[in-house]
Amino acid sequence: MQQQSGKLLQQTLEHIGLTFISLLIAVLIGLPLGIFITRRAKAAWFVLGFAGILQTIPGIALLGFMIPLLGIGAIPAITALFLYALLPIIRNTYTGINSVDPAVKEAATAMGMSDAQILFKVDLPLAFPVIMAGIRTATVINVGVGTLAAYIAAGGLGEFIFGGIALNNTNMILAGAIPAALLAILLDYLLSLLQRMSLKRRKITLWSLPLLMLLCSSFYLLPLGYNTRLLAGFTPEFMGRQDGDIGLRSVYGLKIRTVVISDAVMYKAAFNEKLDVISGYSTDGRLKAFDLTVLNDDKKIFPPYYAAPVIRREVLEKYGELGPTLDLLHDQINDSIMTELNYRVDYLKQSPETCAKDFLVSKGLYRAPRNGTKGRVRLGSKIFSEQYILINMYSMLIQGYTDLQVETRTGLGGTKICFQALLNNNIDMYPEYTGTALLAILQPASAVIGRLTGNRDSVYNYVQRQFGEQFGLCWLAPIGFNNAYALMMRRRQAQELGIRTISDLTAYLKKTKV
Amino acid sequence: MIVVKNITKTFEAFKAVDDLSFTVGEGETAVFLGTSGSGKTTLLKMINRLIEPSSGEIWIGHQNIRGQPAEELRKKIGYVLQNTGLFPHYTIAENIGMVPALLGWDRKKIHARTIALMEKLHLSPDDHLAAYPHQLSGGQQQRVGLARALAADPPLLLMDEPFGALDPITRAAVKKDFKQLDELKNKTILLVTHDVQEAFELGDTIHLMDKGKIVQEGAPGDLLFHPANTFVQNFFDDQRFQLEVGTIGKEDYPALINAFNHFKNRQA
Repeated sequence: MQQQSGKLLQQTLEHIGLTFISLLIAVLIGLPLGIFITRRAKAAWFVLGFAGILQTIPGIALLGFMIPLLGIGAIPAITALFLYALLPIIRNTYTGINSVDPAVKEAATAMGMSDAQILFKVDLPLAFPVIMAGIRTATVINVGVGTLAAYIAAGGLGEFIFGGIALNNTNMILAGAIPAALLAILLDYLLSLLQRMSLKRRKITLWSLPLLMLLCSSFYLLPLGYNTRLLAGFTPEFMGRQDGDIGLRSVYGLKIRTVVISDAVMYKAAFNEKLDVISGYSTDGRLKAFDLTVLNDDKKIFPPYYAAPVIRREVLEKYGELGPTLDLLHDQINDSIMTELNYRVDYLKQSPETCAKDFLVSKGLYRAPRNGTKGRVRLGSKIFSEQYILINMYSMLIQGYTDLQVETRTGLGGTKICFQALLNNNIDMYPEYTGTALLAILQPASAVIGRLTGNRDSVYNYVQRQFGEQFGLCWLAPIGFNNAYALMMRRRQAQELGIRTISDLTAYLKKTKV
Repeated sequence: MIVVKNITKTFEAFKAVDDLSFTVGEGETAVFLGTSGSGKTTLLKMINRLIEPSSGEIWIGHQNIRGQPAEELRKKIGYVLQNTGLFPHYTIAENIGMVPALLGWDRKKIHARTIALMEKLHLSPDDHLAAYPHQLSGGQQQRVGLARALAADPPLLLMDEPFGALDPITRAAVKKDFKQLDELKNKTILLVTHDVQEAFELGDTIHLMDKGKIVQEGAPGDLLFHPANTFVQNFFDDQRFQLEVGTIGKEDYPALINAFNHFKNRQA
């Protein structure tokens, strides 16, 4: 947690920068547009309608639209935030100017003021409170939606929020959410002061405001953190885990500039040379799809992740046929088979169901569902393809070999959420990995970890015993593959730079220090 | 000074002003009197091009008003509205000095002129120069409106029911101060009103309007004693006696007393 406190400042500054850059652009474009449509009623309908539709698009969806067009990082994030800020600004400018007392406007015209004079001497000053309210609304919206920027490696307070969700760490979520909320309140308050200023003082402030905004925007461009030759993209979960980013720094002494990015986007980003090193899993199908290679973990900071089903003991005892059925997958899938299956689903876009069925059929394990009504087993899974594939296999096996019904609860985001669901009897079984169980759930003393790490079987035995004693949960036979955390790079680049292990990477970066 | 020829204004299918022609001499106060919807305000607004006529021509001082940019024309015409239209975000001083500022007068001159006008209209500069319109009473606001229209000393003044929003007592006071302004003597004034008393009080010529047409124009006495038709006659019937008394001159008193006595004798 303490290591993250330095990050908080960086994220806050990034957040302020993102907010202000997009706000500035929105004002520069939205304000004149709002003025323009006060003179053209037809255009008003169209412009307000368009900006209104933009607002109805959910934040994440809008960011998703941006990615194929603008890639990852600051530019798509700022564009999305700018689009969100448009409606309040345009609409309030339009409404504010149209609400000016017609008698005052008539007097101004009758005096011989030109259109420009009426705009600057009458309309804008009188519409100012309403326009300012629009800017305040846009600011608060931007601070809120800006938390999504972390999804696409644009930084900001969302990094902690996403990380906390993935790791089920409430403190971490709050560490991002509270500063974001405070930021929104603070900015709104400061802008309200401006709104209430007298006309004379306001004029001075209005000229200094754009400068201030530019200053705040520049925060974003401040090069905080390392600037290295290679750029790494890690998921929020990887950033927070002991066997993730933290271990890289402490054991390898790896010093690389890092952005936080979502799993959905990072492989493509690496392929498109927007990132050089990414965190990932050694059986991910996208390894094959994007021609990436895994760097050897020579110092063994990533423990083995032997996959096996974890099931509540009472369910196992209640339905005696369940255990042997689930064990049908024991040693059936090795690393390369799992990678291939993942590749089919992630890249060839096969459905997990089809992929699972094809595999079972190929191994002669598939049986048509018996549609029995003896009882019900609830299977849970995390939110990635490998889990979906396994769950489908287990589901088909249970329905084919027993008279039990299967209910699946897929998409439980993160280890802790899955595990809690199991403990709280919301699900009966889900596939877990020994390394995850050891480091994210059991979290024993580092001496214990040191003793175990590196050895597949001892980790498995330890985890099996502890789960039984502490939680009343049983580990069934391992499926046979090891889905460990890994660092990966584009195969070609790794070859060119002669990097085969993580130590090689560390050495390379030290040598080419910027 | 003002020549209006065949002015018509049509909104969609409605003829607000129907083929009007008239002239107003220099220094004359021409009152346009009529009920709501008679077209008098529309006509007034065509003089300073707030509304453009559908057809017809208007000349001010031998120049067609369409021959110059509207903004230049308006800076030479003072305009007073019923609900003042004061700029709420400017002080009284800034309001009054607006047109001079637009014309580029230097600040000292504007300041002097503002103070002079305020005093003439009985607005204490010490109290009100730096005040904002909302801090003043209705009557004071209308005085500011008058001052603002007069600030650049325009030769022509347009007034659209300027005293209509005031209560009778305030109205009388403001009107009194207005009439006393000596600079009005050489200004041409076009005043729109539905208040008959006011028309008779302030007007040299009255143009009685109905349904976009001028029914009769002339000196106040003409309309009273020589109405062109029954409409004109009926228009003044409510206050006929008051108006007639106000209109006849001292020289007519003997004739009036004679007529009265004659009437009384016949009764006896």
